Amino acid sequence: MIPFTREEREWFLRNLARGLVEYFGRSDPPVGVEEMLSQPPPLYDADFGIVEMYSNLWDATFARPPSQRGSIFVRSDLPLDERRFALAREMLSALITSKHGRAMGLPELLLPHLRESAEYFARFLLVPELMLEAYRGRGGKKIGFADVFQIPPRIAAVRWAD
Amino acid sequence: MSMQALNQLVARSIVEPNIVKSFASGQIDELIADFEFSPELRKRLGTLEAGTFAEFSLLAYRVVKAAEVPARRIELPSPAEGLLDDQAQSDSEQVA
Repeated sequence: MIPFTREEREWFLRNLARGLVEYFGRSDPPVGVEEMLSQPPPLYDADFGIVEMYSNLWDATFARPPSQRGSIFVRSDLPLDERRFALAREMLSALITSKHGRAMGLPELLLPHLRESAEYFARFLLVPELMLEAYRGRGGKKIGFADVFQIPPRIAAVRWAD
Repeated sequence: MSMQALNQLVARSIVEPNIVKSFASGQIDELIADFEFSPELRKRLGTLEAGTFAEFSLLAYRVVKAAEVPARRIELPSPAEGLLDDQAQSDSEQVA
């Protein structure tokens, strides 16, 4: 893999997120992350699943048992905004480890900075650039932004400044 | 326009297997023909050598970014410069 900059990696991640949002044809917030996982593009039938867990150890984590469908194991008692962000974040692991993702070369590009990449990807999946522009164009303010996009306030603050 | 085309190519690659298959089979020219790249960029992108589609994307990003013409800035002389000159001139006249 060629050396690459953070800016280049982030540009690539923004476009992956954009591709998924456009595939589902969503033009208004909130982006349906649960819908993406429950009715994925056929390419990811074996990669996108949700398993509810009772756990205090993590909010969500992606796992792919040998020869089985990959799934995001998510804490069942998370608040909606935290759940949506955790699912979006773990979706990147599902993409990277999928057959298609491996064929694209995603592991070489994204695994070395997985946590940072996953959070960046999740921010742009849940708040796509066009939706944010439209929100601002309608006079939308930072206050209320997290509610409209159904994302945690701490994530909204980072995304607003991205 | 070309950066938009590249963004579109990468965005679609995550949900359209044909894009990655075309790349893997060396059909880059055919692949980029579907997107609105300038003829010059199309030529340059067609010669990129990359092991994976992700790597190709990053190399293409560098090529397209470098080719984008920066927006021209209208550069007018600062009014302050004129004032300073006048003042300087006036000072020298007073000294004289």
